[in-house]
Amino acid sequence: MPFDSPVSKDLVSYGIFFLLYNFINRVPGPIDRYRSKGDFMDYIIEMLHITKEFPGIIANDDITLQLKKGEIHALLGENGAGKSTLMSVLFGLYQPEKGSIRVRGNEEKITGPLDANALGIGMVHQHFKLVENFTVLQNIVLGMETTRRGFLKMDDARKKVMELSEKYKLFVDPDALISDITVGMQQRVEILKMLYRDNEIMIFDEPTAVLTPQEIDELMQIMRDLVKEGKSILFITHKLNEIKAVADRCSVLRRGKYIGTVDVADTTREEMSEMMVGRKVNLTISKKSSEPGEVVLEVKDLSVKAKREGQTKKLVHDVSFQVRRGEIVCIAGIDGNGQTELIHAITGISDPSSGTVTINGEDMTKKSIRYKNTHGLSHIPEDRHKHGLVLEYNLAYNLVLQQYFDKEFQSGTFLKNDHIYDYAQKLIENYDIRSSEGAFTTTRSMSGGNQQKAIVAREISKSPDILLAVQPTRGLDVGAIEYIHNQLVKQRDAGAAILLVSLELDEVMNLSDRILVIFEGEIVADLDPENITVQELGLYMSGAKKEGGTL
Amino acid sequence: MSVIYFIFQQTMYFMIPLMIVALGAMFSERSGIINIALEGIMTMGAFTGILFLNLTGKSMSGQLQLIMAILISMGTGMIFSLFHAYASINMKSNQVISGTALNMFAPAFAVFVARVIQGVQQVPFNNTFRITSVPVLGSIPFIGPLLFQNAYITTYVGILIFVLSAVVLYRTRFGLRLRACGEHPQAADSAGINVYRMQYAGVLISGALGGLGGLVFVVPTSTNFNADVAGYGFLALAVLIFGQWKPVNIMLCSLFFGLMKAVASSYSGIPFLSALGIPSYFYKMVPYIITLIVLIFTSRNSQAPKAEGIPYDKGQR
Amino acid sequence: MKPKQIKDHTGILSSIFAIILGLIVGLIILFLCNPEQALPGFATILSGAFTHGAKGVGQVFYYATPIILTGLSVGFAFKTGLFNIGTPGQFIIGGFGAVYVGILWTSLGPAHWIVALAASVILGALWGLVPGILKAYYNVNEVIASIMMNYIGMYLVNWITKSYKPLFNNLRNESKNVANTANIPKMGLDKIFPGSSVNGGIIIAILVVILIWVILNKTTFGYELKAVGFNRDASKYAGINEKKSIILSMVIAGAIAGLAGGLLFLAGTGKHIEIKDVLPSEGFTGISVALLGLNNPIGVLFSGIFIAYLTAGGFYLQLFEFSTEIIDIIVAVIIYFSAFALMVKIIMSKFVGQKNGKTDETGKGGTKS
Repeated sequence: MPFDSPVSKDLVSYGIFFLLYNFINRVPGPIDRYRSKGDFMDYIIEMLHITKEFPGIIANDDITLQLKKGEIHALLGENGAGKSTLMSVLFGLYQPEKGSIRVRGNEEKITGPLDANALGIGMVHQHFKLVENFTVLQNIVLGMETTRRGFLKMDDARKKVMELSEKYKLFVDPDALISDITVGMQQRVEILKMLYRDNEIMIFDEPTAVLTPQEIDELMQIMRDLVKEGKSILFITHKLNEIKAVADRCSVLRRGKYIGTVDVADTTREEMSEMMVGRKVNLTISKKSSEPGEVVLEVKDLSVKAKREGQTKKLVHDVSFQVRRGEIVCIAGIDGNGQTELIHAITGISDPSSGTVTINGEDMTKKSIRYKNTHGLSHIPEDRHKHGLVLEYNLAYNLVLQQYFDKEFQSGTFLKNDHIYDYAQKLIENYDIRSSEGAFTTTRSMSGGNQQKAIVAREISKSPDILLAVQPTRGLDVGAIEYIHNQLVKQRDAGAAILLVSLELDEVMNLSDRILVIFEGEIVADLDPENITVQELGLYMSGAKKEGGTL
Repeated sequence: MSVIYFIFQQTMYFMIPLMIVALGAMFSERSGIINIALEGIMTMGAFTGILFLNLTGKSMSGQLQLIMAILISMGTGMIFSLFHAYASINMKSNQVISGTALNMFAPAFAVFVARVIQGVQQVPFNNTFRITSVPVLGSIPFIGPLLFQNAYITTYVGILIFVLSAVVLYRTRFGLRLRACGEHPQAADSAGINVYRMQYAGVLISGALGGLGGLVFVVPTSTNFNADVAGYGFLALAVLIFGQWKPVNIMLCSLFFGLMKAVASSYSGIPFLSALGIPSYFYKMVPYIITLIVLIFTSRNSQAPKAEGIPYDKGQR
Repeated sequence: MKPKQIKDHTGILSSIFAIILGLIVGLIILFLCNPEQALPGFATILSGAFTHGAKGVGQVFYYATPIILTGLSVGFAFKTGLFNIGTPGQFIIGGFGAVYVGILWTSLGPAHWIVALAASVILGALWGLVPGILKAYYNVNEVIASIMMNYIGMYLVNWITKSYKPLFNNLRNESKNVANTANIPKMGLDKIFPGSSVNGGIIIAILVVILIWVILNKTTFGYELKAVGFNRDASKYAGINEKKSIILSMVIAGAIAGLAGGLLFLAGTGKHIEIKDVLPSEGFTGISVALLGLNNPIGVLFSGIFIAYLTAGGFYLQLFEFSTEIIDIIVAVIIYFSAFALMVKIIMSKFVGQKNGKTDETGKGGTKS
């Protein structure tokens, strides 16, 4: 058509417009870069194809994580999935073998915490990095002290800290020693550390592991307030409830690999759990109802005094309860309310100051640990490295740790090594304990899950009358947790009495037949898990509610 | 009265080196590195310092010579302590072993080199440094004879070091960071502090002060050096523990031990003590016995830096 | 099917590595002092013992006897988690006991030397008991406690020897000769190594090494001692009386070191207790022997002989205008480098790790924690 016809003019202009439009979109030019930057502006942090290796293991395998400005982004995975490692890379504690990090669109090299801080990135670690005998103020300013010619000048710092504390409602006493304050307050100190450094991107590593349900709610609110002030939050967890409560999006890691990112509002807990573990997981344990028999363990008016001079407070205060055959009784409470001391007094690791411990009708309060271990008591300890195993010994020697003196394993004073190794082999097969060299493996090199299995195998195969299991699934992956829970229920059904101590509320609710809540060394409630909610349990645990009765 | 002055002056001779070395050990241990090598560092510092005095005896004398010897001793101590620092910090070796190795090396080295240079192992020197009385200050009644007569400049250097140590440890940024490294190196690291550098600083300070202490130990009390500092390095560790790693306590404890040592070596000149007929060996043993007894009481609630002796490993979580 | 036990050789490698480095440093020092005589001097150190035939070998065994035992004392203590730096004190106290019985209890006839050795064992055990109790009950660091006991022991022995007339040889400022019946019998060794000072002591030392090896590896007693040394808390949990174990470990370590002293002073070679305020070097050499021998009784035996061998060679160094302290320097450097064992281990495991590929943690049903 001729160019000067009206239809063709429109067609031509449309055509030219069409061509120009495509040209602008296809060819990367200054305009394109502006547009892309517009996209990236939403992402304040990008970790692209990060690979981090340690000798013998790939902790992060080609992981990509993107954090939007102003969002709360959860990083979900089991223990050992690589979440902490990834965040340590972001914070500069580790250097990745491959991959890059972009902050506000620019590629950055983060070689250490100072770099991270300069970029506005801060981190609250799972195990607090606080110096115990320094004050709150000293801990906050450490590494960023205000000085004059080398001498510390704390007044300005103090003012700034108090201002921040007011603004964000993070109440602390600047002159208190870390060793004297509660865990909740210690966490607030860690958060103030980040605010003091004007961190905008805040990483929280398993922040709720040590908090009461009430403190967890407070923390969630603090996070929402921080985001309102323009901060962006990354938080590492394996607890689905918390993600649901506060996160916008969630990225899932499994065994070092990136599985995907979901919008939390649109994803169910079951779906997230399946992403985390790789298969469908039963979030509850199936067990038949218990039929308790005779009393096996009776604790009466047991008290433990504090060891430090000058302290007259009792760590365990006139505690009394019973555990019968065929039931699982759980002592629930916030860490540090006397559970550890109670268990130590029952087993004999420390001495009670008054009261009695009776097993199978025999008063064993003053008997030696060995006597208790050979007369019906088994103990899966809280800290498998401290109490449960001699890590430098091999697996076999650890498996006979409670029985090496039996006639079966020694004659005269000489060890019968053949018998020991045969016995170990049996346990390894029956309980599926995996290790690199079987019975000869140095226990230190075994994974946490298998170490715990070894302890469980050892303690259960003694066929105890009363089994004390203290935080038996701490730090383990879902597979190992399922296994141990099943073993405990099996023992219960076979007639053992089980006293469980746990900090994981899910475990407490699912596993126990009866719950005894401990608060400041006293039993404040005796509850039936079928009849209460987690919220109520939390109230008892924090002392807000008290029940009249104990058994 | 003159007996008291005499004893006090003698006490200074024993107390000051002990205090200097113990304060040095404090800096090292506060940063997290156990330094058992103090005996060896003292030996090396004393050896090089005394050797300098010996070799320059004909051409130099007086306080200037002593000051130069001090600098040499401190320098030697620092260099020698570098071995311990390298082994403990970079190689993450067992700190007690590397310290013991240095302790074994030092006297052997001193004897060997002495023999090579001058044929015999004892290194004599001329003591031209005793200040009979400081002008003006020495005439003050009571305090004068106590502190300002029959003294050495090293006495005052020692007191200055004590004051500096207390101030640096508690009031400076360096001190705060150093203490953080010894208590919780992970916390210090995540605050951006270079833990390794702090630990090097701690060990080097202990080296410098250890070397100085060695020289200060020999000069007032004898006329030659025989490759031995009589266990002072270990005694300084005891003082450190007794003093619970705090400068003021260390000073007081050094005073007490110094007093015991002074009595042990000079009791024969003190009428009422020599009349008791207790042999010198008893006085020599007393500091060690007392240390044992004190350790019983203090070890329960030890205020030792929590992370001392554990090689700091960035990779551990 | 039982998996086979894979042995770990990084320890031996690091000891050898340390020895080589120590010798090199020694050579360098010799060079710096006297270049022409350095090489022949070095050669003498390495070969001195052999060039004197059976007598030379006998001398090596003679030197080795006390340090094998002090090394065993330190090594045994290490295996049970304790650093016994108190061997000089235990050594001199044990030696004192032997000398005391040797000089004064002359009516015992053929049993004399046995009783004298028993005295050295008992006194040494006593000297180990004190740091043991302090550690077990009061948490006192055994290094400092042992060091204190070294000096207390030294002064005490000097004091008693000097002031108790029957023991003291005034003219030479040392203890008197022990009676002939107190000397350890030669047990035929003087026939095998004629002309040397060797005696039955080396046989006794070897027997003690074997005894300790059996205790550590084959008995429940050893199982308990090692468990306590590795993990005191877990041992308590398992019902082991950890306080008793710590005390017994130190007592045994002290006894062995005391025996070393006894064997030295009863060797019939004219060794006397000298009244000098100097700690016996055999005590500290024991630390070197133990570390080189990786705290293993058999290793201690060999490293004790090795260091004695160097010492014997060093003895002949005096022909070359070098003083024997060079041997102490070499040994000290060896110990310093042996502390690097951890580094060697890390390097070795990096090699091995790369060969075997990454271990598959995921296939083991557990997690990394």
